Amino acid sequence: MTTMTCKKEDTANCFVMEGKMALPNQYFAGRLGSKFIIALRDGKKIMGINCPKCRKTFVPPREYCHVCQTKIDENWVELGSEGELVNYAIVRYQGRHLPRKVPYILGQIKLRGADTPLTHIVEGVDFKDVHVGMKLKAVFAEKTTHTLLDLDHFEPA
Amino acid sequence: MAEFFGTTVADIFNTMPTRFKPEEARDVDIIIGYECRGDGGGKWKVHIKNGTIQVEEVAGELTGCKMSVHAADAETFIGVTLGKIAAIEVLTSGKLRVVGDPRVLMMLLPKVFVQYTVPAKKSAVAAKDIIATIAERFRPDKAAGVAMKVGYDLTGAGGGQWTIVIQDGKCAVEEGLAKDLTVKMTMPADVYTGMMLGTISGETAFTSGQVKIDGDMMAAGATSRFFSKYVDPSAQAGEAEELITIKVTNAIDCRFATGPVMGMWFKGLKEKKFLANVCPKCGRTQVPPREICAFCRVRCNEWVELGPRGTITAADVVYFASPDPLTGAVRETPYAMTWVLLDNASAQEAFCLDIKKEDLGRMKVGDRVRPVWAEKRTGSFRDVLYFELDQETRGEKR
Repeated sequence: MTTMTCKKEDTANCFVMEGKMALPNQYFAGRLGSKFIIALRDGKKIMGINCPKCRKTFVPPREYCHVCQTKIDENWVELGSEGELVNYAIVRYQGRHLPRKVPYILGQIKLRGADTPLTHIVEGVDFKDVHVGMKLKAVFAEKTTHTLLDLDHFEPA
Repeated sequence: MAEFFGTTVADIFNTMPTRFKPEEARDVDIIIGYECRGDGGGKWKVHIKNGTIQVEEVAGELTGCKMSVHAADAETFIGVTLGKIAAIEVLTSGKLRVVGDPRVLMMLLPKVFVQYTVPAKKSAVAAKDIIATIAERFRPDKAAGVAMKVGYDLTGAGGGQWTIVIQDGKCAVEEGLAKDLTVKMTMPADVYTGMMLGTISGETAFTSGQVKIDGDMMAAGATSRFFSKYVDPSAQAGEAEELITIKVTNAIDCRFATGPVMGMWFKGLKEKKFLANVCPKCGRTQVPPREICAFCRVRCNEWVELGPRGTITAADVVYFASPDPLTGAVRETPYAMTWVLLDNASAQEAFCLDIKKEDLGRMKVGDRVRPVWAEKRTGSFRDVLYFELDQETRGEKR
């Protein structure tokens, strides 16, 4: 029988084990989300949903108008692929989940025909030149990922 | 005629006389006009008078109607009739418009009509129709190198016996059951058709005892992979809506500090030893060790080597394939978490590990086992691969 004392400083047999925990996930884009992504992927079109009562067009699409609570899931409208930058941020924190290597510009783009801005990546403009109000146009991805990134980024029109 | 929700607008009007309840409509005298625009629509005039009903399709303008209902499209009209679409919703969005007082209709119609329901489509698919398509549904690429004979013994009406022979990337169906079947599946014919059409879950049918499998269970499970899905030719060839699902496996890096006590245990595993610590008060051997005795709450500083042989005290055989939390991959089933009481361990102090796959079928409580160590041991719980049945000390009481 061996005797062992458990003192804080007794670290002879202490070590650190490296592990990896894998979490398999399934993310469902939803019925409207699927339609939205498929339109980006196959038609290179940005689709929004219009509330006929409030005369507002939402993008990304939503099932209910948040103002009047009407179900509007069928009122698809095609939006232009050009728009105006209404807000932006320069992302400088590198997270592994981010779609681009930092720094990059994350902009809110109000597309032609839409009433809500779409948040997406802005490229092809210098950080010191980017400004609210600038005109942008969509650039679609060549290879599909079946995500919002089938719309690759926006660049100055 | 465009179909929505499995029916057409004309069906709704054509069934009206049969759904009509004359006794409820004795004092009613009303002409209701219906207009349904778009594909599959039309115009109808429904005249209810003193317990009689007259339904006519109108080609031109709707005239002489006291009230009229206008639907923007056939889908709206059918949806509202079936209650799949809330009337209030389409009334607000303007897809449904009522000329006159909508409340009259809401009160009157449910009273004088039996609710319209979609006539059930009878599936006329017989087991033999499905069996007949097996050869053309065969996917040689999925069955490369597979040689097996699968027997189907389908009982009851529409049943029969067939053998599916898969060999050299070819598939043939023979009547009757072959003598040298790899696996035989016995089930009622309607359960088989249900499973093939996807209305009955194979797992449920098996666990509820409707399906009997004789022979190689794994082969039975594998067969579905070799064939593309059976599609009922009489079913609506409606284009399925594409839905996007993305599968992602997120990995989280973890670091575990062993501390001195678990560190001692892992150091022991590295040296092919099971080290337990002993409670100075109750004398219990703790495996895996803990700093404090869980019962007496005193520090345990004495160490003792257990085993390495032991005795099985219990086993949980696992058939449910769950993902391994460390890799995300689904581990092979069945496997058994086997509780082993190592030699020299206190009673109840069994600990749990895998049993060798080959021993899974024959192990039983009380059997002697010995550990199989990994070639390269790193000081982790994977240093012991599994336990295997120990023939040398079998029957020995300890």
